[in-house]
Order: sequence, then C-alpha cells, then structure tokens
Amino acid sequence: MEITFTREAKEFRNQIMAVEGAEKLMHCYQCGTCTSDCPIAKRVPEFRPRRIARLAMYGQKERLFEGDLLYLCAGCYTCYEHCPQEVHVSEIVSALRKKALDEGHLLPGFKALMQSVAEMGYIYEIDEFENEMREDDGLPPAPEPDTDGIEAIMAATGFLDKVEASRR
Amino acid sequence: MKYAFFVGCTTLSRLPGYEKSARKVAEKLGVELLDMPGSGCCGTTYLETLDHKTALAMAARNIAIAEEMGLDIVTICNGCTEVLTKTNKELKENPKLKAEVNKVLANAGKEFKGTVEVKHFVFMLRDDVGLDAIKEKMEHRFTGLKVGSHYGCHMLKPAEVMETEDPENPTVMDDLVAATGAEPIEYPNKLECCAGPVMGVRENVTWSVGLDKVKTVKKYGDVLATACPFCYLTFERCQLMQEDESPNLPVVHLPQLLGLALGLDGEEVGLTHNHVDAMGILEKME
Repeated sequence: MEITFTREAKEFRNQIMAVEGAEKLMHCYQCGTCTSDCPIAKRVPEFRPRRIARLAMYGQKERLFEGDLLYLCAGCYTCYEHCPQEVHVSEIVSALRKKALDEGHLLPGFKALMQSVAEMGYIYEIDEFENEMREDDGLPPAPEPDTDGIEAIMAATGFLDKVEASRR
Repeated sequence: MKYAFFVGCTTLSRLPGYEKSARKVAEKLGVELLDMPGSGCCGTTYLETLDHKTALAMAARNIAIAEEMGLDIVTICNGCTEVLTKTNKELKENPKLKAEVNKVLANAGKEFKGTVEVKHFVFMLRDDVGLDAIKEKMEHRFTGLKVGSHYGCHMLKPAEVMETEDPENPTVMDDLVAATGAEPIEYPNKLECCAGPVMGVRENVTWSVGLDKVKTVKKYGDVLATACPFCYLTFERCQLMQEDESPNLPVVHLPQLLGLALGLDGEEVGLTHNHVDAMGILEKME
C-alpha cells in the first residue's frame, strides 16, 4: 500500500485524534487482532479494520471516505474489547464518520434514517395503521413522541443542517 | 416492582410477539411496566457515530421522561439499552457535559438529572426478580428442548460502559433458558454479532452472518433464542430469503419461552407472529 504523507494528511490525522474516543490512534502497532476477530472482515475482503487504522494514522482521507467503507462497521465492539493497545478501531471509525459528515459526506441510507427520526420521532412510521395492528394484538398504542422537541434537539446542535446538506 | 418501559421503534412497529410476551411475562411475575409518554427513538447506535452531543441529547430526552416518572428504565432492545446506558453513565459522570446537553435539551422542555438506572429486561428478570422467584412461578417445563441463546453485542459491550457481565462469558440468557427446564447449549461463535446494523448497507453480508449462526445452532440444538429485535429479524429474515426451506430453524424471543413455561398459551406469547414456524416447541412441554 503506497502512502504519501503530506502536511494536509498530518493535519487530518490530528483532527481524527481530536475526536473523543480516537485519542489512542497512534498506539496501534498493526497486530491485526481487530481484523481477525471482525465478523464483517470475515465476509468482506475490502473491510480491514487494521487497514482503516493504518490509513487513519497517515491521514489518507480520500481512501477512507471512498464508497461505503466507513459504514460497513456493525459497531459490535469486538475490536474494542480485544485491542491490546486500547486503540478501539470502532471508535476510530466513528470519528471518521463524524469527520466525513463535517465535510458533507453521509451514506444515503443513513441520511434517510436520520431524517425519519427528526420527522417522525421514530425510525419508522408508527401511526394509525400500526396502532390498529397493535390493538388487534392487545397492545396499547405506541407512545406519541414529541416530534417538535426531537426536531428542535437535532437542529440545535447543527446536526440536522449537516445531514440535510450532505451528499454521498 | 415498577419500571418505565422503553420498547424501542423496531419492536413497537414490527414485532408484536416480542412486546406481547415481554409484557405478559412481567405481569405474571408481578412486575409493572409503565409506558413512557412522549418517548420516541433512543437516537440509534448510528447517531452515536455521527454526532456525539446530538446522540446524548436524544437519549437523555427519553431518560428525562423516566426521571419524571420516578422509575428506572427497562428496555427490550440491545441497541436502545446501549445508547441509553452509555448516555446515562456519561452524563452522570461529567457535570460539564451534562450542563451542555441540558442546554440542548431545554429546546424540548426537558432536563437530565441523573436519578434513574437503565437495564435490559433479561437482567431485570435475573437480578431484580430473581431466578428462584421465577422458577417458583413456573407451571410447565420444557423437556428435551435444546436452546441456543444469541446474546447480541450491545447488552454486554462495551463492557466498561455496560457493566453487566463478562462479554466473553455471559450467562444471563442461558440462566433464564435453564429456568424453563429447556437445555441451554454452547455452540461455536455463540458471541458473534448478528450484523443487523449493516443490513441497510450490504444486505448480503447480514444474511451471510445470520445463516452461519442459524446453521450452527441447527447442528447443536432445536431453537435459537434472542433478546433484541435486530438480532431476531436477522436470523428470521436470512432464512426467509432462502429459495428452499432450509435450514428452517425456529427463532424465538426469549420472553416467549419464559411465558410458555409460566403458563401462558401460544397466542398470548404471540407465537403465531414467528415467521419460521415455532409451534413445535409446544410439543416439548410438560
């Protein structure tokens, strides 16, 4: 893997490490424990947590932001628990997703999901139809989320604007 | 015993069998589960990876509702459990962050105080109700039913946040299975993730993970038991996606097994909602 380590790349690495949970990136000595235990890496050849850590150490933004790479992590925390250096690659992936969103990148499926939550207060629509089905099962109506409050929270942090402005 | 009941979007809209059986089991054991007015999405485990403060505020809004009720929260989704537990812990331990999040929360007219706990249904049963008390109430016993439990990730991990059981050697689900008379089994890769969270990214990866587990459990046991809506959907759907009918392994929500042993009937625990026919387990009861 050929890597060019420019000043911009170093700056990007520092930005990643400034995100909470990603501070120990440089402790990674590339042992590969994360990758051998990863349920996704077992099935997806291009998803290698060790490689993600390596690319992050050298600030290789374009390669990291390519395609759906960052969104293939299931967040199972296996690498988090097993990392002998407490680098926690899952947290490096999270930090990278945050940086990607800051720069306008978000997978369309994630964008739609977050917009659903802001709009409906749930990830799915739970309305009259669903409540009728629930009633047939003897279940009480689903709680009615305070959608105005939820949208206000997501807007107040600037998150909703970032989601709406994002492209793949 | 009384709790604020946080059901979670997926179960509320897709899995009446899970919600029904959990509610009925609680009732049978004298546990009151109260609905949380105004509650909504926990924020999702995805949101945590996209924006820290928004994720905290979304979860804290729900926790604040339970605080207003003066009750600890019981959850039945691993994702919600992790999101709510992590937020609760982080905000209780960090007053500065709590103040920042409360400023955001004020937009929804809520305040996080830090006065309640969050626990998954299975831990509530084992640790608050107690295995002995549960066994005393059993009206039936399963005999010769081998059950493979799937714990999933977020009821246990990250261990330093969840503080429940050793994620390499959990026993809570197996303990509850054993209380019904059924035989809890060990099987290879028992602790592997269901990969449900990448279903929307690359579906085929999730089905591959799901099928591997289903086939393994089929080899060693009769039924797969889950305690999370995403895990359940993965193991059920990966089978329904197959063109032939193999491997045809029943997947049940753990409270369904408990409910049947507590004397509820198949209808009451919502067994007709299981898309891989699970009625066969009724024949293994005495």
